[in-house]
Amino acid sequence: MRRVFALGENPVTTVLAMASIGSGRLCARVQEKLCQWGQYTRREAYSCVRTKIGSQTAPRVPQERQNEKHSQSLAATAASTVSAGCWHPCSRPEIAGTARSFSTMRTQQPGSLPEYQIDPYHLLEDDLKDVYIYIRDALRRGTYQDDLYEIATYYFDGHGKAIRPMVAILMARAINYHIYKEKSGLLSSQREVAMISEMIHTASLVHDDVIDQSDFRRGKPSVNVMWNHKKVTMAGDFILAVASIMIARLRNNDVTLVLSQVVTDLVQGEFMQLGSKETENERFAHYLTKTYRKTASLIANSVKSVTMLAGADEQLADVSYQYGRNLGLAFQLVDDLLDFVSSSAAMGKPTAADLKLGLATAPVLFACEKYPELNPMIMRRFQEPGDVERAFDLVHKSRGLEQTQYLAKQHCQEAVRLANLLEESPYQKGLIVAADYVLNRMK
Amino acid sequence: MKSLCKLFAACSKQTFRTSTLYTNTKIRMYKMDRRLEFSSVIKEAEKVVGYPVSFLNLRVILNDEIANILSYTKKLIEMKHPLVQTLSNLVFQNEQKTFGLIVLLMSKVAGLSGNFRESEYDRGTDILHSQRVIAEVIEMIKTGHLMHTSLSNIDASTKNVLDINFGNKLALLYGDYLLAISSSELARLKNHQVQQIISSALRDLAESQFFGLRDPQNNPIPSKPLPEQKDVKIPNEFGVEPLKFEDVLGNMKAEWTLRNILCSGSLLAKCCQGSLILADHEFFVPKLAYIFGRNLALAWQASLEKVQIKEETFSLVSAPVMLHLQHDPSLYTEIEKGLSDQKKVNYDLIRKVVMSGPGLDKTDQLKKEFSDTALNVLNNFSDSGSKTVLINIIKAL
Repeated sequence: MRRVFALGENPVTTVLAMASIGSGRLCARVQEKLCQWGQYTRREAYSCVRTKIGSQTAPRVPQERQNEKHSQSLAATAASTVSAGCWHPCSRPEIAGTARSFSTMRTQQPGSLPEYQIDPYHLLEDDLKDVYIYIRDALRRGTYQDDLYEIATYYFDGHGKAIRPMVAILMARAINYHIYKEKSGLLSSQREVAMISEMIHTASLVHDDVIDQSDFRRGKPSVNVMWNHKKVTMAGDFILAVASIMIARLRNNDVTLVLSQVVTDLVQGEFMQLGSKETENERFAHYLTKTYRKTASLIANSVKSVTMLAGADEQLADVSYQYGRNLGLAFQLVDDLLDFVSSSAAMGKPTAADLKLGLATAPVLFACEKYPELNPMIMRRFQEPGDVERAFDLVHKSRGLEQTQYLAKQHCQEAVRLANLLEESPYQKGLIVAADYVLNRMK
Repeated sequence: MKSLCKLFAACSKQTFRTSTLYTNTKIRMYKMDRRLEFSSVIKEAEKVVGYPVSFLNLRVILNDEIANILSYTKKLIEMKHPLVQTLSNLVFQNEQKTFGLIVLLMSKVAGLSGNFRESEYDRGTDILHSQRVIAEVIEMIKTGHLMHTSLSNIDASTKNVLDINFGNKLALLYGDYLLAISSSELARLKNHQVQQIISSALRDLAESQFFGLRDPQNNPIPSKPLPEQKDVKIPNEFGVEPLKFEDVLGNMKAEWTLRNILCSGSLLAKCCQGSLILADHEFFVPKLAYIFGRNLALAWQASLEKVQIKEETFSLVSAPVMLHLQHDPSLYTEIEKGLSDQKKVNYDLIRKVVMSGPGLDKTDQLKKEFSDTALNVLNNFSDSGSKTVLINIIKAL
């Protein structure tokens, strides 16, 4: 790992100290987050210098060039009154192929991005770094049996995108600021909701892996490969049970009802995936409902919960619910899109996975318009030899990918509009950037 | 529904070799006398609480979404997927423990403490609607858990991988569906303490599948008996803490007890406890219900296993076997073979050895120990019709 800072005499560290972020920690953490944002390695001159406010320039030394640019931008970060990261979410990494293929997919519109470049992960670093630790603690306290603990914590190693806790905590802080202004801190109950949402999500992943016989997830061998199906299923149940205990401990009836609804939605979404509908129109509606249940429901309901815990009224709770819902739908749409465009290395799991599982996702459903021969393939769930390849080709030939991107963009824009209803704050800006990230991510 | 019943009738005629899962029993005719006596006791009990609780299990089959998918059942039967056995048992209710019924009876025995509005309970039976929900929840959790244990582990040597995988998928989804519904029902009760306690019972159920040695299909195998058998007590856990198991593995009686507490005792105990909390009882009364539920479940399991040992295959961790091992560990060499493959075990030999040894008598003693504790708890409550029914159930075990 490259050392990004020159510690000590750097003016940054003093300012960072003021902002109470340990620079040593920041080092590794930012590095990791940069990977996740796909911003790694190249820091071009254009990246952030023009957006800084009241920067302090450090003396340039050739071998320190990399560090200097970075510390310059960090100086900007620290010096600005609003703490802001500097990673322009839309500058592309130089990973061949995928970068180029995405160049047509950008949704840059003047004025659609905030003035300050916010990195939500950077912003919430302190909150997020502990989420996985707390989750593992809660699971550890739930059992004395080591092998159960091992399976249960397999996916909680910090390699996930942590989108759900990130969005939940962003919303929590944004809402707290909206209602209470500077007097806002993060409630521990809100942090718990972030943990619970990640646990529910992971439990569903664990169960999905049993069904899908998947070999890879998040770049590591899936749980099945290492243990047996029955134990894995039980580990998933264990995580859910511990999450239920945590939900009950919140002692809030509304939140309990909302979060329990999520689990039901997840299962019903899975069931919907098993069945299939006859007509094209029905199919799309079916797909959207299934997508809501499987993905958006969790995000929407967890942001709604943190809002309720802040003491917000119904109207505000609804704003955050709709934000979460739109964000979740966009997230899944982009996920379905990425299944057709990205390569194995970037994603952590192989592509055309949905087709191979017999699932007709948005790009395929859109492509049906131009290529009706996809219809029988959908009905037989791509079981015939050659179906998967043919469908893959047809999707690329059609406008399916663009249309999916467009739909995702619509949802993101709606999410941004809703976020703009909240009082301005770095966290509120973070919500907007998160919507943008969801749209433009690569893995 | 009709075609479904026909399918199950067909599969009940064949005798499957059961896997040695705990809660699955073989479909065979038990001794007529005992069956009649027990089922008449249950019928009486059902009259007391107002309706046949046994049909709660059928909810899983009658739901629309699931009925759709049951068209795949025929294929599963051909493959002899464990899920089919489970579903058959549910439909034909052979000696299945009706926990929901016990919860309702216990609720009735304790009665209502505190003031409740007329809309909250049933005038005829004095049972709160929320208590009935607990009875439904316990059945759903039990069935859901059963579904999840009905998967079939797939490895390199498995044939028909896709079909077995599909069976696994169904079992997993049914189970998830039931568990999800039970959590939302629990949430609707709006009682945090009860929700916490029952979620911890769910956690115990999940833990039960990891406890002790397992074969490749995750069936339980006894641990090697320790040379010196200690009498380890498993404490009552009225809260949400997990149960410890140091000193338990290897002490045959304690191992059996803890295993069955995790598998069924904890669920019945905590649901009884929860039900009485809903009725606003004082602090110690729900605890009595916990003790009652736990001991009843253990006694019940012991009595079922005593009968099961006479079958072709039986659970290797059943009470007669475990208690025999306590007395004579040499049998373990035969049992150990089950660690790599169930089929290597000579069940006939084990049955012969156990039945000629003290295993059965000791099981009776064990059962009596738990039944007596349960009966003692009942003595704390005033006499009533439902109390008599519970006493009869315990005596009929």
